[in-house]
Amino acid sequence: MTILDILIRYHSAFLEGLGVTLRLCSIVWFSGLAGGVFLGIMGGHNPKGWGRFVRGSAFLFSALPALVILFWLHYPAQAAMEVVIDPFYTAALTMSLINLFAVSESVRQAVVDFPKQYIVSGRVCGMSIRQIVRYIQFPILFRQLVPGLMVLQVSMLHISLFASLISVEEIFRVAQRINSMIYKPIEIYTALAFFFLLVCLPIHLFADFLQRRYTRDFSER
Amino acid sequence: MLRAKNITFGYTEKKIFEEISMTIKTGSITTLIGPSGSGKTTLLRCLALLERPESGSIQIDKDMYSWPWPEEKEFILPYPKLTTVFQQLFLWPHMTLRENIMLPDRLSGRERKGARIQLAEMVEMFEMGDFINRYPNEVSLGQRQRVALARALILQPRYLLLDEITSSLDVEQVAKILDCLKHLRDKDIGIFIVTHLLGFARDAADQVAFLADGQLMEVGGPEILKHPKSKRLSRFLSIIEAAS
Repeated sequence: MTILDILIRYHSAFLEGLGVTLRLCSIVWFSGLAGGVFLGIMGGHNPKGWGRFVRGSAFLFSALPALVILFWLHYPAQAAMEVVIDPFYTAALTMSLINLFAVSESVRQAVVDFPKQYIVSGRVCGMSIRQIVRYIQFPILFRQLVPGLMVLQVSMLHISLFASLISVEEIFRVAQRINSMIYKPIEIYTALAFFFLLVCLPIHLFADFLQRRYTRDFSER
Repeated sequence: MLRAKNITFGYTEKKIFEEISMTIKTGSITTLIGPSGSGKTTLLRCLALLERPESGSIQIDKDMYSWPWPEEKEFILPYPKLTTVFQQLFLWPHMTLRENIMLPDRLSGRERKGARIQLAEMVEMFEMGDFINRYPNEVSLGQRQRVALARALILQPRYLLLDEITSSLDVEQVAKILDCLKHLRDKDIGIFIVTHLLGFARDAADQVAFLADGQLMEVGGPEILKHPKSKRLSRFLSIIEAAS
């Protein structure tokens, strides 16, 4: 059985698994980016309140392995609260929290480190705070943050494989199940790699486009 | 008229300067000289309302700013009627030099038809034609200094505060910028310039102020550079002249 044979024979299972993976990642990407950017800006502008919360939470979620958090939320937390939550949502929550605090810490750091002189020069030119944010602060931060945030989102896609360990029917689990039936690990995991390349390629192309379009070397000669 | 009265500025216990009073009239050039670390830039930042003094007042035309500032009172910023060009220039790195100059004017809502003509004149005057469409990091410091000045001038300020803006220019460019400042004075703009160029202070300034040891040691016409009254200014001038 070749890779193509496997893909044709099990295409519906693979597509279903890919669908679950993409649904999971969409939740994680959207909540992480939207919430993380918001939290990061709040943390950057309020270093003692929100800033400390973001820094502390980011440390916690980066220090603990994703798998530990996932298992903790799936088993002991649910047992303690006497609830049973669909593993898909548990995985989505875990990965969203990891992404949210990683994004928020990157944004917070960038906001804190933003050169204040650019803001001051906008002020003395008569620009309002809103104009400074829109035309100066946001474009510079966007250029600075885009590459790192894109890499982070790709790593979220990779972390989504852990969801298979709590029985989420995502693409890795589908591949494992098919392998347990036909035992063709080389072909199956090659097909899996192909799927990941397929998903990652547009993300990389998009990141590359953004980088070429918006980022440039600011260093002075 | 831009008038500072008895302004004191310090960080906690340490006072940078105390009880400074001075007046900058429109249509005049005031130069501030003094040794490094004497607080010249801080004084400029106070006059530009970028630093809040501990006490004293600053009057900009009819607007009065007094410290300690009452919490309930709204702080109305005087920009771009009063604007500043900093020594470090602070051009926005993601925009071309042309965009750097035009953005504040475009956003001011004035939609001045003359802005483009004014830009063209400045491009010619400061010889910026070869690099106006480049980014700040692609040109030399001297070229950036000309652009920073052009960005301030296009806003048609009434008061222009300049912090050592000629420090990286060659003699020819310095002469051009100083000519330009004289021209701006004739247009009734009040210019306050922190500088080490004693020659310019002698030739073009209407008022020269010497800041040292937290005090304005001497304020007067350019003649104070020829006949200083205080020993401190005398010593400062002799050091500068020996160095040059």
